[in-house]
Amino acid sequence: MTATTTLPAVAPAVRPRGRRHRLSSRETVGGWLLSAPYILLFLAAAAIPIVFAVWKSLQKPSTILRPQGGFGGLDAYKSAVTDYRFWDTFKNIGIVMAVWLPIMLIGVIGLALLIHASPGRFGSVMRFVYYIPGALSGIANFMLWVYLINPSISPISWLWTTLGETTIKDATNPFNVPFILAAMLFFQGVGTWVVIVNGGLNGLPEEVFEAGSLDGANAWQVAWHVKLPMIRPWIGYAALMNIAYGFQLFMEPYLLQQVSAGAMQTEYTPTQLTFAFAFTNRNLPAAAAMSVILLVVTLAIGVLTVFRSGLFGEKEAR
Amino acid sequence: MSAPDVVTQHRAHVVQRPWSAGRTARVAVMVIAAALVLYPIIGFVAMAFRSQTGVQEGTDGFLGLAGVSIQHAIDNWKTLTAYGPRGGGLFQRWLLNSVIVSVSGAVLAVVTALPAGFAMARLRWRGRRFWLIVTLIAMAMPNTVLVIPIFLQVDAIGAVGQLWPVAVLMGFFPFGVYLSYIHFMTAMPHELVEAARVDGLGEGGTFFRVALPISKQAVALVTFFSFVANWTNFFLPLTLLTSSQQNKTLSIGLQEFIGASPLFNPTSAAGLTVKLWMPELAFATFISMLPLLVVFIAAQRFLIRGQTVGAVKG
Repeated sequence: MTATTTLPAVAPAVRPRGRRHRLSSRETVGGWLLSAPYILLFLAAAAIPIVFAVWKSLQKPSTILRPQGGFGGLDAYKSAVTDYRFWDTFKNIGIVMAVWLPIMLIGVIGLALLIHASPGRFGSVMRFVYYIPGALSGIANFMLWVYLINPSISPISWLWTTLGETTIKDATNPFNVPFILAAMLFFQGVGTWVVIVNGGLNGLPEEVFEAGSLDGANAWQVAWHVKLPMIRPWIGYAALMNIAYGFQLFMEPYLLQQVSAGAMQTEYTPTQLTFAFAFTNRNLPAAAAMSVILLVVTLAIGVLTVFRSGLFGEKEAR
Repeated sequence: MSAPDVVTQHRAHVVQRPWSAGRTARVAVMVIAAALVLYPIIGFVAMAFRSQTGVQEGTDGFLGLAGVSIQHAIDNWKTLTAYGPRGGGLFQRWLLNSVIVSVSGAVLAVVTALPAGFAMARLRWRGRRFWLIVTLIAMAMPNTVLVIPIFLQVDAIGAVGQLWPVAVLMGFFPFGVYLSYIHFMTAMPHELVEAARVDGLGEGGTFFRVALPISKQAVALVTFFSFVANWTNFFLPLTLLTSSQQNKTLSIGLQEFIGASPLFNPTSAAGLTVKLWMPELAFATFISMLPLLVVFIAAQRFLIRGQTVGAVKG
């Protein structure tokens, strides 16, 4: 795994310090044995599929005449990258993220700060209410949005009427889609992230805020000048995790396409394109190549999250 | 909860501060945000208890609340369970499949995550840091990225369409390992490990006789998060189970319902005797949410204790 290559960069920080004794071989055996079941699952669910995908991506697609495929070098990558839909899919998620990420971050930070400024029952009730849509994850959230974006039954039908859209096909026009997707992702994700960022705020020492108010700063100034800079690591973490999620977007556009009566393009995101390579075109090497490309991107984001967000490390590096 | 309630409650708690403009703005923004969150959810849950006739005629009033009745829910259930070849029953079958894969996946996650988390938190061994970093990175990556490679692998062993690979793959839960790791780091002091060693316990003995008995919290959290992740997982069942209608889980079953609904596919739905309109779809979704509600209530006291999520993600 690529993770190995990142080890040297952090290794110096982890050298056992002070009272650490030598690694005993008994403990090493114990460590490996206790971790063995997990490591086996890691091999089955991550390592082997990745190695297999890399191998597969270097094959030729199998055809009726050539069922075995055979070594194809970088052909599969070439056919993935030169596919007419390839850059469009990245452009699409770029647009979705441009709409969604700022709203998401502002919403999360804003609500977390508001809750933190509201001690007592009111704050915790509000935090619970914001968390509720997070429980509607996956297809349940999508069903809710099917109900919202269908102009004839939507409780926000006034919005669709204003926009002059009377059918779900009208509503899922190319202009609206990034906004609909952003709204879906926001609705589903905001509560969980509010709870996380709020947890971060609760972990900060009270005295700092009190000092701020003694200096004559009002609650809004304390939030802006004191709290906001202090939760920067959580903001970075939220941003990176959401970017990684955005790159992998699949279910929402996939299902939206299904209800859009043909208004939406079939391969809207890179993962949908991977899916199409595998199941529509039956070009498994291209699907594997596409997976490897996306894997490298998200792995880079993952490594960045772990080593640069500032939330992991100190504890884990000991 | 209506706005006046909230305000009085708030006032009861913080009496001494006057109602400044800033404070009014804060409460107003928060109440409006809460209303925006609740409005569509209330309408959607109401939809599950309405009838297509009421929806079509538009006679159900504000958010359709006037059209809500238990009888409609019973009718919707009957319609859903009639879906499928030879007299229906697919919906119950999918529910059962979801229970099977989600529970086995969660059990597997607990069984593998706890010892691994313990080994990473409290044993000094070569490889410890490597696996910890692998776990963190795997946790930070969306799991959909591996689904196509996993499909290629499962396809290669000819197990596509079967439930067991799905359950096994769901058992890989790095977040659970991280949760257990944090648990043992915070709840099990080094001294306890040293004491167990002095008492002559090996690493396995320390884990089973000392660490495990104080791990109720970690077991509950790993079970909860893994069950929820498995239950709502969409992409993995979609690639591995779509080919077998009987073996679908509920999440991709709901997708089949969407495909069979005259709302979106009038032509293909015309051939079906079972008509799934929005109330039926909403009711199916509502049913699919109930197990999540049950595990949430069961795990609630463990979730609230301490700053779980803060500790978890931070």
